Amino acid sequence: MRLFYSLILILSTHFAFGQKFTINGYVKDSGNGEELIGVTVLVVGTGTGTVTNSYGFYSITLPPGKYDIQYSYVGYRNQVKSFDLTQNVSENIELISEATTIDEVVITGERLDANVTDIQMGHTKLNIAQIRKLPAMFGEVDIIKNVQLQPGVITAGEGTSSFFVRGGSADQNLILIDEAPIYDPSHLFGLFSVFNGDVVKDSELYRGGIPSRFGGRLSSILEVRTKDGNNKQFSGAGGIGSLASRLMLEGPIVKDKASYIVSARRSYQEIFAPLTNQNGQSNIVYFYDVNAKVNWKVKNNNRFFAAFYSGRDQFRFDRTFGFGWGNTTGTFRWNHLFSDRLFSNTTLIASNFNYKLELQDPVQGFAWTSKLQQYSLNNDLNYFINTNNELTFGYHLSYRVFQPGIISPNTDGSIFMTISQPKQYVFENNFYVDNKQKIGSKVTLSYGARLSIFQNIGPADITTYQDPQDNIQIIRTGTEHYDKFEPVKTYINLEPRFAATYLINPVSSVKASYNRMVQNTHLIASGTVPVPFNTWSPSGYYLKPQLADQYAIGYFRNFKENKYEVSVEAFYKNMQHVTDFADNAQLFFNPDLSVEFRQGSSYAKGLEFSGQKKEGKFTGFVSYTLSKVMRKVPGVNLGNEFPANHDRRNVVNMAVTYDLNERWQFGSIFTYSTGRPITLPSGRYEFGTYNVDLISERNGYRLPAYHRLDLSATWNKKPRHPEKRWRGQYVFSIYNVYNRHNPFTLYTRVAQDKDGNVIGDGTQKEARMIYLFPIFPSFTYNFKF
Amino acid sequence: MRNVLIILLIGVVLAGCDEPITLDINQTPSRLVIEGQVTDSPGLQYVRVSRSGDFYKNGTTQRVTNAQVIVRDDSGEQMTFTHNPRGSADSVGYYIPSKNYVGVVGRTYTLSVSVDGNTYGSVDKLLRITKIDSMGYRPNVFREREAEDESGDGKIWELLIYAKEPQDTEDNYLIKYYRNDSLVYNNETDVYVLNDYGVGENIDGVPSSVYYAPGDKARVEMYSLSRDGFLFYSDLVSILNSDGGMFGPPPANPRSNITGGAMGFFQVSAMTSKEVTVSGN
Repeated sequence: MRLFYSLILILSTHFAFGQKFTINGYVKDSGNGEELIGVTVLVVGTGTGTVTNSYGFYSITLPPGKYDIQYSYVGYRNQVKSFDLTQNVSENIELISEATTIDEVVITGERLDANVTDIQMGHTKLNIAQIRKLPAMFGEVDIIKNVQLQPGVITAGEGTSSFFVRGGSADQNLILIDEAPIYDPSHLFGLFSVFNGDVVKDSELYRGGIPSRFGGRLSSILEVRTKDGNNKQFSGAGGIGSLASRLMLEGPIVKDKASYIVSARRSYQEIFAPLTNQNGQSNIVYFYDVNAKVNWKVKNNNRFFAAFYSGRDQFRFDRTFGFGWGNTTGTFRWNHLFSDRLFSNTTLIASNFNYKLELQDPVQGFAWTSKLQQYSLNNDLNYFINTNNELTFGYHLSYRVFQPGIISPNTDGSIFMTISQPKQYVFENNFYVDNKQKIGSKVTLSYGARLSIFQNIGPADITTYQDPQDNIQIIRTGTEHYDKFEPVKTYINLEPRFAATYLINPVSSVKASYNRMVQNTHLIASGTVPVPFNTWSPSGYYLKPQLADQYAIGYFRNFKENKYEVSVEAFYKNMQHVTDFADNAQLFFNPDLSVEFRQGSSYAKGLEFSGQKKEGKFTGFVSYTLSKVMRKVPGVNLGNEFPANHDRRNVVNMAVTYDLNERWQFGSIFTYSTGRPITLPSGRYEFGTYNVDLISERNGYRLPAYHRLDLSATWNKKPRHPEKRWRGQYVFSIYNVYNRHNPFTLYTRVAQDKDGNVIGDGTQKEARMIYLFPIFPSFTYNFKF
Repeated sequence: MRNVLIILLIGVVLAGCDEPITLDINQTPSRLVIEGQVTDSPGLQYVRVSRSGDFYKNGTTQRVTNAQVIVRDDSGEQMTFTHNPRGSADSVGYYIPSKNYVGVVGRTYTLSVSVDGNTYGSVDKLLRITKIDSMGYRPNVFREREAEDESGDGKIWELLIYAKEPQDTEDNYLIKYYRNDSLVYNNETDVYVLNDYGVGENIDGVPSSVYYAPGDKARVEMYSLSRDGFLFYSDLVSILNSDGGMFGPPPANPRSNITGGAMGFFQVSAMTSKEVTVSGN
């Protein structure tokens, strides 16, 4: 720590060039005081400039002189300020939104030509304002459903919140809400995600060329930031949907200095009641989310934020069987300016994920609980060295406790005893540094590395086996004891990161990137889609860190004054120690779970074509991804290579919105993808009275292709009292317009008639396809004031 | 897992459904299937030899009638199993001991099956079984409630099983339920297999998985299983109830203890049973 702060001090003094001055400050929305991320700050007439960082902060250093600085941002009016630079200047800017309807004053913006000029490739800013106009299942605006439409991203099917990025598995995505990790982003097993659209300010998906400030997962980073709260005036928003209702309130605590935002969302239990409450049973099914945040500013160089999220799903059937899961996160953040050019963000993070299964029964009653807790301290610094170099560096420290499961009896007469699967403790130190350097007017480089020092520590009693991969005859040879804090296993990995952009001309560029990623927290799932009851495990005595090397190149081109953006990217990703379970793994009530772990290799390669139109009445994007993902894991499929569960070769996604006028907006989504691989029988045999499938090859078949069209119409009601702030909006949407029965999964059974009676002598087998959603309309009323 | 999660999901989305689909299945060569059982109870020893068939072809799969079947134990005793000695039509493919034969607790048994010049082998150990101390019965709350709604078949009674689970050994059990001497399952893909992980000594009234009507003669058979046996039957549960690899694992062939490339299992068990007539009040 001391060394670290000395470094800061050295940087902020040593590099202080005497002959230059700095202009810095925050850029905000004039209407609600929200900081704007990615605002272009341009020195007029010179071509040099910068963009605001994740906290809306910018810093630009210039020789003394007179300058006009232009601030521009999509959806906002440009602003030009004149400076006579004879000393350092602090200048906060408020931009005026061009939005006229309920739809969002906050627009996720970026530099107009960012597609071409930005160093980042394999990257998408998800525009929440546009997502709002697109059709949504049950009318619930969902960030993750939009992530699933991005190039290079594959879904397991509708009704899931999992996504697979460039061949990575579902646990290889780091999902952050205000910098705190979310370990399970699903509500109702994935029908919805945990992100309430009303509080999302900005979100970004990194799938390649991942900057060194991120680490811990192999394949992608989904960073979701919530709004800070209106610091100008009290306001609110909300909605009444067919599945859930929402309310969000925000306002200043001290005008322009401190503000708050709170929001809540809860599903209606009644929706499920008719179907689940049969035979007089009383069933409970619901989920909720709560977000809260406060921020305050102490002068211009200290800002504090405290953010909280909690969400939970709860299911209970007739008071006997119940289960639930939920995430709770807390973030405390301190933005501090050490000097005019050194911006620091210190974050304290706590995250908790847990699930519980319970059976109420006098004899077989038990409760199973599982928990994962994380505490982190992050320190991230931006050092604006000069107009050509921006240094990002910092360290991330975290401590995690994994409690895979405690089974305990919940009545006196229960046949069960209390069993606690051993806890695991993990201590992780990460250091990173990254420099973004402009060389001339054509070339931008970004280079750096992340050092991951991972330790699985005691107290621990590790069971050793004669053969730790033999899950048939498990021969325990003893236990190794580790004291408190004693390292069980230490893994040190260096992750180099590199990216380069070459501007061919002002409207086109070529980019290349390489990144190595390391993952020490694994969600080993045997199915295609993880469920909340899959258990996260850290690297340790038996599990090695997963590693990925990704190479990507791309061509980027804008047309018609940046109105149209086009890109092509090619990637190759090589992954080591990807996790799986052995065939026929015993996952529940298994004291020797580690013998079921398998690690193997995987590779993915692909081409992504993407086109986007960001301005005008017609906006939207279209993408096509051609990719292939293969896996080879000893102990799975006899050690032969097989297509991964998420190997969908061809994927086409299209999302367009059309603003007819101030009142009416229309949206449409079309998606097509090759069916996912599936394991099917090649025959059947009889054993006892059972009619059993004979399996010959893992993932040897494919489900039929998936495709679907959704439409939506948004009507902004003409305000009855235009002088008041209340605005209402109706959203109608139709999911799966042409009523395709898209396969969710496929299973086999002994042929049965409509009433579920076995046909004939029970020797005839049949295959059945499950689909989730036929054509499905929904309706939502949204308001804001 | 298929049942809980998928049914739940379909319930939640209100409208989801399943429909038949015809698979375009690649033909693979037929595999030999061996099902063998040696217990410590008279009359329960048999080996059935058959072949796998086409997925969509109905009717009994092909039986193998020309196999040489021999069981040996580690005390040197050897028994030849002969094919369907009584020549009954429903015992084609079944091989039974050529004279009275029962297994002995503690011995290890080796099966050898020769078919058309290929030999398949297997080894399993006969482990002790704890007794069922007593059995009772009571109406099942859910079945009773359902029965009020519809006419029902009166099968609302569940058995209650009382036993002492030995705490000094790792034990695995296979349970079979009989209704009026017929083997029954609540669902045709049910396999009642369990192990004692996390289970205490007192088993006081664990309810049965199948239900009975008043007047039914109910019998419970409990078989001891080796670890191999437990794994085989657990794997059988997985494949019979697979959800196609969506939430659960993709279907995989059960781990067999038979060498030589045959499917199936050779089960050696001690067996205990208890019988009760459900009087219905």
